[in-house]
Amino acid sequence: MEDQLRSIVDRAHEAARTASDVAALTSVESTFLGKKGELTLLLRGLGALPKEERPAFGKLVNEAKVRLEQMLADRSRDLESVALEAALGGDGFDPTEPGLEVAHGSLHPITQITRELVRVFEGLGFAVARGPEVEFEHFNFDALNIPASHPARDTQDTFWLSDGNLLRTHTSPVQVRAMERFGAPLRVIAPGRCFRNEAVDATHEHTFYQMEGLMIDRDISVANLIHVMKTCLREILGREVRIRLRPGFFPFVEPGFELDVHDPFGTGEDRWLELLPCGMVHPNVLRAGGLDPEEWTGFAFGLGLQRLVMIRYGITDIRDFTGGDLRFLEQFGRV
Amino acid sequence: MLLSLRWLSRYVDSSDLDASRIADDLTMATAEVEGIEVSGEALRDIVVGHVVECGKHPDADKLSLTKIDDGSGELLQVVCGAPNVAQGQRIAFCRVGVNVPVDGKKLKKGKIRGLESLGMICSARELGLSEDHTGILVLDTEAAPGTRLTDVLPLSDTLIEIDNKSVTHRPDLWGHYGFARELAAIYRRPLKDALEGLRLDVPSRGDTVPIAIDASRGACSRYCGVVVRDVVIGPSPDWMQQLLVAIGARPRNNIVDLTNWLQFDLGQPTHAFDLDRLAGPRIDVRFASVGESITTLDGEARTLTTNDLLICDGNGPVALAGVMGGEGSMVEEGTTSVLLESANFDAATVRRTSMRLGLRTDSSARFEKSLDPALADLTARKFLAMLPEVAPGARVVGPIVDPASWAYEPRHVHLRLPRVSSLLGVAIDEPAARGFLEPLGFTLREKGYGSFDVTIPSWRATKDIAIEEDLVEEIGRCFRYDAIEPVAPRAPVEALHRDPELALDDSVRTVCAYDLGLHEVYNYSFLDDALCERLGLADLPYVKVTNAIASHLSRIRRDVLPSLLGSVTHNFRGRDDVALFELGNGYRPESPGESRAFADQDGDMRERQLPLEVHQLAALRVVRGDEHPYRRLRGDFETLLARLGVHAADVRVPTTEEAAMLPWMHPARTAVFVGKAGEVLGYVGDVHPRTVRALELDFAVRKGPTGGAAACCLDLRACLRAPTVAPRYVPVPRFPSQPVDLAFLVDDTVRAGDVGRLIEDANPKFVRRHQLFEVYRGKGLPEGKKSLNFRVELGSDKRTLNAEDEERYLDRIRNLCRERGFELRG
Repeated sequence: MEDQLRSIVDRAHEAARTASDVAALTSVESTFLGKKGELTLLLRGLGALPKEERPAFGKLVNEAKVRLEQMLADRSRDLESVALEAALGGDGFDPTEPGLEVAHGSLHPITQITRELVRVFEGLGFAVARGPEVEFEHFNFDALNIPASHPARDTQDTFWLSDGNLLRTHTSPVQVRAMERFGAPLRVIAPGRCFRNEAVDATHEHTFYQMEGLMIDRDISVANLIHVMKTCLREILGREVRIRLRPGFFPFVEPGFELDVHDPFGTGEDRWLELLPCGMVHPNVLRAGGLDPEEWTGFAFGLGLQRLVMIRYGITDIRDFTGGDLRFLEQFGRV
Repeated sequence: MLLSLRWLSRYVDSSDLDASRIADDLTMATAEVEGIEVSGEALRDIVVGHVVECGKHPDADKLSLTKIDDGSGELLQVVCGAPNVAQGQRIAFCRVGVNVPVDGKKLKKGKIRGLESLGMICSARELGLSEDHTGILVLDTEAAPGTRLTDVLPLSDTLIEIDNKSVTHRPDLWGHYGFARELAAIYRRPLKDALEGLRLDVPSRGDTVPIAIDASRGACSRYCGVVVRDVVIGPSPDWMQQLLVAIGARPRNNIVDLTNWLQFDLGQPTHAFDLDRLAGPRIDVRFASVGESITTLDGEARTLTTNDLLICDGNGPVALAGVMGGEGSMVEEGTTSVLLESANFDAATVRRTSMRLGLRTDSSARFEKSLDPALADLTARKFLAMLPEVAPGARVVGPIVDPASWAYEPRHVHLRLPRVSSLLGVAIDEPAARGFLEPLGFTLREKGYGSFDVTIPSWRATKDIAIEEDLVEEIGRCFRYDAIEPVAPRAPVEALHRDPELALDDSVRTVCAYDLGLHEVYNYSFLDDALCERLGLADLPYVKVTNAIASHLSRIRRDVLPSLLGSVTHNFRGRDDVALFELGNGYRPESPGESRAFADQDGDMRERQLPLEVHQLAALRVVRGDEHPYRRLRGDFETLLARLGVHAADVRVPTTEEAAMLPWMHPARTAVFVGKAGEVLGYVGDVHPRTVRALELDFAVRKGPTGGAAACCLDLRACLRAPTVAPRYVPVPRFPSQPVDLAFLVDDTVRAGDVGRLIEDANPKFVRRHQLFEVYRGKGLPEGKKSLNFRVELGSDKRTLNAEDEERYLDRIRNLCRERGFELRG
């Protein structure tokens, strides 16, 4: 009977090993372990053995049964896995086929550059301030050391309003508003919309965007201005830059400068690009903001935002900014 | 403005400095240089020719037939029309194929009266050297034929172009002499006197013209006049013509050229009158009277105002002071007696007249910078000193009349070196300060403790140097700003002030673009008249621009949404949907905004007021397609409010007054969101069908073929004032929710919000959420009825709800429905 058991076990294992799919394995199971399976019948025929041999042989058959069941289970898992792998192949999948389009929005490029500048300057400890676009003549001119007879009032081509106010010609009025509101020491930037009565063409706009910067403290110097400008331009342009200051005239600063950047596009070109006007805040402006120029000094600068965006993206027509054309706006969807 | 290096070298030795170095140094220390030009470029290919033979043209009396040796080894036959050509001359020769300097046109082989001409013998005008075209230019040289003309004549010059805008604050830099002073300071070289090498003989008595100045308004601080007789009008010296041509001025005659030359030399405009054509003769400087007019040199008749300053003779106006001379009294061929005017006119007066008449001249450009009155006398004297060379034979017959008796009262500025060092961020000691300031004409007197009394030279005292900071600039620019080492500021660490409105703007933008999928647009603050009319907004009050860029752009917008609506139509080409938003300001003239008192020019306090500024988000969705975008945009609007934590206390349709101020919105299909105190937070609704049609978006009219237009607006300042809802932790429910769908059959007038409240009221403890997922009208429902279909989630914190709980809840709903006349379906 032991021979019989060995023979059954050998055949059963052989059949399980060679079963090529789950169906064949199921038939192996019923042949050996089913109700009329060979191993089942063998167990049932145990009664024919002498009483003292029954426990030992019964144990053998049971162990064989457990081993066989385990083997069938393992084999079944293997076959299922093979069948799944086989099913994964092909069926015409095209990895280049794009997904469904998601309707996504965009922020205006001026908004984006403003956010970037705000991030840089907040990192340097500058707060963000704002002022109205319809502004008092006082803040736009008088408080900035531009009295009524000053030629700068002509060159600024101001839009005057029927109520005697004006559309601000620069973000500089925020300098005095911020001094009044926060006092000194003071570190602020003020991005915003400005207006000048200029004919519109590819490089000129009557509506434009500036960012004012102002730092006031005890003993602020030209050397400090150079340091802060170098630091912020390194952040904005993403690399170390050479800058230079040269004389420039603006009524609300003294001394006043034009700031040039060397090789602005990082192309290795030996060229200086005029980037922004800046200077030491004029004592009359400090006074207008309620500060004593003997106690406080400071510097101010102005940055043209359209210009910065145009340089960055190679935009050639300034009119695109206010055209409201989706074909333009959609190009700036990157976060 | 062009600067000639040859001209500058009259006053400062700069022969060893190349132009690019001078340009760099001027840029860094003085003024912006726009470029460098080499004049004489056009003459590069002109050579010295030798007239070997000269005879008559066989077929023309006035033409000569010559043989020219141009150094090429071949004698060239050239026909020449000039009367002064003669054998043996050295002349300027233009070969065939070379560009003629005056017009840049290539010279072709010619045939003149049947004879071939292989080149051209040039006149001074053809060479672009002067206006002289009376004959050819005969060279005083023995140079070999073929030598470059520029090697023989001192014609080449280097010109530095200065950006005029960079010297508007420097009245001393409107002539070569001022720049020579800058170069002398930069290179630490001696500066020659403006009159060096000139002898001046002015009689102390004699022939004069009476001058009367109406100085009541300080418009003319000085008027110097002097009489010159026995003038012979003719060409000015070659060197003078060449310098004038080099900087782009046209030579005319000796007297006019001299006044012009002095303008570019010292920066002081002067005017020469033909004395015989001045009535009186006398000069009155006065303002024009009402209705007066003058015909200026350019032949234009100009009507004047009482703010225009005039130079008049016994009969009336002869010049617009500081702007342009009059037609009747100009110096021309035949003039023998001249009255020279060298005056100082008030900057604002000249500027006002020149702006009003649109007449900007070299003269007005200089006077409006506030010229130094000392220059008037200096220039008159230089004019007289140069006369013997420029107009030989002319006699100065009387003294310079200078009735204003102006004298420079030296200005003093206190200078503290510690202050200079602290402002610049570099140490400046006394030798350094003196080294920078003294060559520029400042004198320093020590007052102890590093402080000085600085005397300002007259040429820097008019609207230029007035305070200590101005001297800091002088020292800084001479030290060179690019030589200052950067130093990090020492500043305290402090928390940043964060403006809540800017933070709100930022969140709104992020949600609109990246959450709701809208595109941000920037529109002008001006509202186009055409759009205004189309949208029916013309009758609303507007802040207006008095000097608009174009007549149709005088209105400043009240609201952002109309501009945004204006951006829709052109975007619809090739698209089925447009989804936009804009953040911006609107201005309301009828409502008071910020109010402040400021001192006016007389020091009186004046109350000033800005119009109310509103700060809005506007957004819209317009689609071609099956579904009207209202519910979509409503969802956007609600999402935005939820993201911002803004809670609306109520939602209602606009009042009649509100609707009148929003004529672009559908008055009956707009939901106005209001806060706790009843203040309007914003609105969302259908765009008015009339507006939709006006924008030529007919497909977007509701019940039109398909599609629609919806718009919304959020008052961001109202949102800032409204209390916000902060997120609060509620334990995640331990017991499951049970969904129940409820369909209410109600009259069309019943509001979904009221039904929602009923759903909650039926058992506030069990209702976790409810959502209106469908509004159904039409087939299967009676006329005037709609079905509001809600999904309600029931649940409890204490136990799992059972069928009995649900049944009890439904009973309560049914009871409430009965009370309200609703019907619960299904």
